[in-house]
Parts: sequence; C-alpha cells; structure tokens
Amino acid sequence: MTATVVCTNWRDNILTQLQERNRKESLLFQDLISQHTKAFENATRLYSENLQLSIQNEKLKTEVRSDLRTQERIQQIEQKLLANAEELTELHRRKGENSQQIIDLNTLVQEKDKIIATKDVTLAENTAKIVSLQAEVSMLDQSNRELKYLNDTLRDEHQALQLAFSSLEEKLRKMQDENRQLVERLIKYKAKDADRMNEENDNFLKNRYKKMQKEIEEACRDTRGTSPEELVEGVGPLYQFTVPTRLTLKFDAHEGEVSAVKWSSVDRLLATGGADRKLKLWDVSKGTCESKGSLELWPSTLTLRGSLVLGASNDYATRVWTIADQRLRHTLTGHSGKVMAAKFLGEAPKVVTGSHDRTLKIWDLRSRACIETKFAGSSCNDLVTVDSAGSIIISGHFDKSIRFWDSRRNRVPTI
Amino acid sequence: MANDREILREIWEGKLPVSFRLDSDEVADFREPDPFYLMVPRLSYFPLVTDKVKKHFLKYVTNDKQDQEMWLEYNGQPLKWHYPIGVLYDLMFSTEDLLPWSLTVHFDKFPESEVYKFSNKEMIEAYFMACLKEADVLKHRGQIVSSMQKKDHNQLWMGLQNDKFDQFWSVNRKLMDCPAEFDHFKYIPFRCYVDDGYRQKLIKPVAEDGRKKTLRDLLNEMFPGRNSVRVKTHGMFPPLETPLQWLSEHLSYPDNFLHLCVI
Repeated sequence: MTATVVCTNWRDNILTQLQERNRKESLLFQDLISQHTKAFENATRLYSENLQLSIQNEKLKTEVRSDLRTQERIQQIEQKLLANAEELTELHRRKGENSQQIIDLNTLVQEKDKIIATKDVTLAENTAKIVSLQAEVSMLDQSNRELKYLNDTLRDEHQALQLAFSSLEEKLRKMQDENRQLVERLIKYKAKDADRMNEENDNFLKNRYKKMQKEIEEACRDTRGTSPEELVEGVGPLYQFTVPTRLTLKFDAHEGEVSAVKWSSVDRLLATGGADRKLKLWDVSKGTCESKGSLELWPSTLTLRGSLVLGASNDYATRVWTIADQRLRHTLTGHSGKVMAAKFLGEAPKVVTGSHDRTLKIWDLRSRACIETKFAGSSCNDLVTVDSAGSIIISGHFDKSIRFWDSRRNRVPTI
Repeated sequence: MANDREILREIWEGKLPVSFRLDSDEVADFREPDPFYLMVPRLSYFPLVTDKVKKHFLKYVTNDKQDQEMWLEYNGQPLKWHYPIGVLYDLMFSTEDLLPWSLTVHFDKFPESEVYKFSNKEMIEAYFMACLKEADVLKHRGQIVSSMQKKDHNQLWMGLQNDKFDQFWSVNRKLMDCPAEFDHFKYIPFRCYVDDGYRQKLIKPVAEDGRKKTLRDLLNEMFPGRNSVRVKTHGMFPPLETPLQWLSEHLSYPDNFLHLCVI
C-alpha cells in the first residue's frame, strides 16, 4: 500500500506539476495565439488580395491605355508604312532617272570618242602636212638663198649701171644748159619782132579810130528807126561800141506772138516766150537756132540767170526751170492776178514778182514761199532790180508812177 | 506498460507560446516584419513547426539570402535544432524572462560550428529514427525496432509531425512494452544536459537487489558527490522518488529518451 501511496504521491506530484505547467504555459496563450494567427493570416490574405487587386487594376488601366496606345501605334505604324511606300516610289523614280542619265552619258561618251577619233585622224593628217610643209620650207629656204645670191649679183650690176647713169646725167645737164641758153637767145629775138609788130598795130588802130570818129559825127546828123517786130537785141557788153545794124538771123520762134525774149549770159542761148504758151530755148552759137525745149507757160516776161530761167506767166504763177535739163524747178503761186514781171533778186535764191493784182511779192526759192508782199496800189508793169545786193527794187506801174522799194525795210518811197 | 494515459496525455498536450522575430539587421524590406506567434508542441522539433515562420519572414529578406538556412537564436545562443523544443526551453529560458518565448530568426551567417545544417525534413526524420533505434537498443537490444515494419516507422513519424496522439502511441506502445521475461527495460535511455552538452550512461532500472531504482539513484550514479542536483524535464521538477522505469515509460520524449536538464 505504501508503495502505491508513494506511487501515487510522486505520480500526483508529477501530474499536478504538469497540469500547473500546462496551465501556465499553454492555456494562457493558446487562445490568444490562435486568435493572433487567425488575425495575422487574415491580414496577410487581405494584404495579398489587395496587392493582387491593385495589380489587376494597374493591368486594366494599362490595357485601356495600351488599347489607346495600340491604336495610336497602329496609326503611327500606318503612317510609317505610307511614308515608306512613298520613299520607295521616290527611290524607284530616282533609280529610273539615274539609269536614264547613265544611258545619256554613255551616248555622250561614245560621241566624244568618235570626235576624238576624228581629231586623231586630223592630227595625223596635220602632222603629215607639217612634214610636207617642212620639206617645202627647206626647199624655199634653198630657193631663197639662191635668190639672195642672184640679188647680190644684180645689185652689183645695178651699182655699175648707176655709175654709168650718173656720168650720162652729167652729160645731159650740160646739154640742157646749152639748150636753155640757145632758147633765151631765140626769145630775145622773137620779142624784138613782137614789139615791132605791136607798134605797127597801134598805128593801124589809131588810124581806124580816127576814121570812125568821122563817120559817127556824120551818122549823128542822120537818124534811123528800127523794126520792132524782129529785133535782135544786142545784149553785148558796152565795150562793143557798135549798135547792131545788120540782121544776123530771123526765124519763127513761136506760133503766135512772141512776148518775151532774153539772152542767156552763160551760153549762147536765147530764150523766148510766146502766146502759144511755150517757152523755147534757142542755141544761136552755131549760127542756126535750134529749139532746145519748150516749156509750158503763158509767159509775160522771162529772166535768165545762171542756169535758171524764170518765167512770169499770165496764169498768176511764176515758174523756174533749169536750162540744162529743162525741168520745172519751182512754181510760185500766190498772186491773184497776172504776173507781169519776175526778176531774180540780188542774192539768190530770192525772186521778186510784180503782178496785175497791184502787189509785189518776194519769194524764197529754197522754201518756195512768199517771204514778203508789198502793196503797190496799182498794177505793176515791170520790175527792175538795181543793185546786186538786191536791196532796192524799182517798179513801174500802170498809174504812171515808178516806185522804189527797199527790200530791207517795209516802206515805200514813191515817186 | 505505459498505462497512465492521463500523464501521457498531459505530456503530449504540452505547448509553448513562441514569438519569432526577424533579426533587424537582415530586414531588407521597408516594412517592419510583424513578429510571428505560434504555439509549438514541446515534444516536437523546431524544423517541423517553422515552415510558416520561414515563409512569412522570407518576404522581408533580400533575394540573395532566400536560399539560405534559417536558424534560430535566443539570447545570443543559436538553437540546436536536434533537441526537442521542450528541452531547449527548459535549458535556455531564463526565469526573469516572460512568456511568450521570443526567438530571433536569422538567415544569414549560419553558425556552422555550433549547429548542424539541415536541408530537409528527411534529415530530421533520419535523426529521429536514429535516436529511436538507439533508445530501443538500450531498452530491448534493438529487437522491437528491427521487427517493426517500415509503415510503423512512418506512422510514428507522421504521428509526431501531425501531432496525433493516438496515431503515435499506437505504435509507440510496442516500444514501451517490455518483453515477456522482463518487466523492465535493459537500460534506461536518457540524456543529462549539463555544461552545454549531454551525458549518457548505462543505468539499469532495477538495482541488483531487485529494487526499482529511482531518479535519486540515477542522479547519484551520474553525479557522484553532488547532493543537491535538481533536474528539470518537461518544464517541471519530478520528485526524486519517481521510479526510473515508470519515468522512462511515461516521461520520455517521442524519441524514447528521457531528456533531463540539470539545473
């Protein structure tokens, strides 16, 4: 029994100790720790769930964004594709152009090659020519040398000839001197002869003059009329101191009246104007008269000066012709009446005309216009220009007056 | 015969509250890891119960340490994982400290000189079975263990792992059984933890004169000359009169050893 009691004693001791231990150690904490682990697990689970959800959220967001982004990317890719396609076409085109250029350049190169070939040919020809020319040059040199040699020999000959010539010249000079001397002597003798002849002539002339004086004195006592119809006016210079008495020539100048006649101071020309409205020129030098030409007008007066014929006409106009070619040069119109007289005014090319319309007009032949009109008051019959400067004009009028005009001044002194 | 089911039950139910904290030097994350609280059975081994702890703390550790072994440390001393948890607690827990038992979890600088490295559970199982066989050799000259089938070994291990009293003890009873001609074991399998190690000795449960030896006798034999030797096991001080046979049958750890911490 005691053993069991002892047994139970230590056993109970152990049991109580164990129970005490368990109570202290585990029971206190059991619930706490289990709750804690539960809470902990919950927390971790929730934490992980939270993490997952946020990850999902992010993923969804990125998906949405990436959707947009994928669309954008698609657009970008499409754009890039377009750009690439364009580039490709561009490059193809450029390739075509480049190959075209290559072909062109090839043809150019071929042409240039041909040109080079032709140039080579010409070059060869030219070198051949050069060779031949050089041969010619050498030949020419040779001939030149020969010529020079000839030239030298000729020069020597020439020198010799010149010496001979100079000696001959000396001789000639001497001869000429002799000749001159002889001629002088001859002239002297001739002069003497001439003086003797002059003396004889003078004597003869003196005798004649005396005779004439006597005749004139006789003639003055005895007057004679002249025929008005056919008069050959002697326009000769005053030193021909004979009045023409002999009729040299008579011819029918015009078909009708001959209203004007004038000598030309230059040639042996006679100008006549007639009622047949013609102006004829006659060459009297050969002793015959020839009609040189006929000119249309109703001449009232004629004037000849130099190579020009001035005809005043009844058709109120004045005409100027050249004698040489008988061409009408000027027609001066402006008068309202018959032009009775026309004269060359002192300095050419002025012309003054007097007309039935009681005016005098001064014309400039260069401009063919009337420079001045002078009112005379009466029909002008005839004009005279007095001095060579042409400053004074004298006009005779129907009203029995003669008027003197100063062409430089606009006044009219009348008589 | 381990008949005192009440005692066995009380022994089996022994659990300790433990808080695991990750060493602050090894925290790589910007968040402070929460301490992990767990009720661990006294009879189990640390590697069997620390799966969740490892998983929890692995998140906070830098990547290069992920593959390293986890080791536990208390008061600067690394814990030897091949001691049962209860033994470690009785040995190391200082009386000034308060429950729950706060251990520090390390991943870096595994102290290879002090602690064995373990890679997987098979190693622990092998160690457990080795202890078991050693105990059986001491008790029955190894006959019972060797006559057990593989599935019995597995059942023992699974029962311990999954904390299944009936599953474990249905097989363990055989080991606690005495052969017909004896009513005691040949020798008592025990370990006395003293001076940072443990000692074992061949001690019969029955004296020469047939008397059942008590704990006192064991201590006298283990530590001759020392009078006041207190022995702690399973968190309590068993009376010295307790017979060794009964002690061995009921107060053994699952590896069939008595683990006595000498204070």
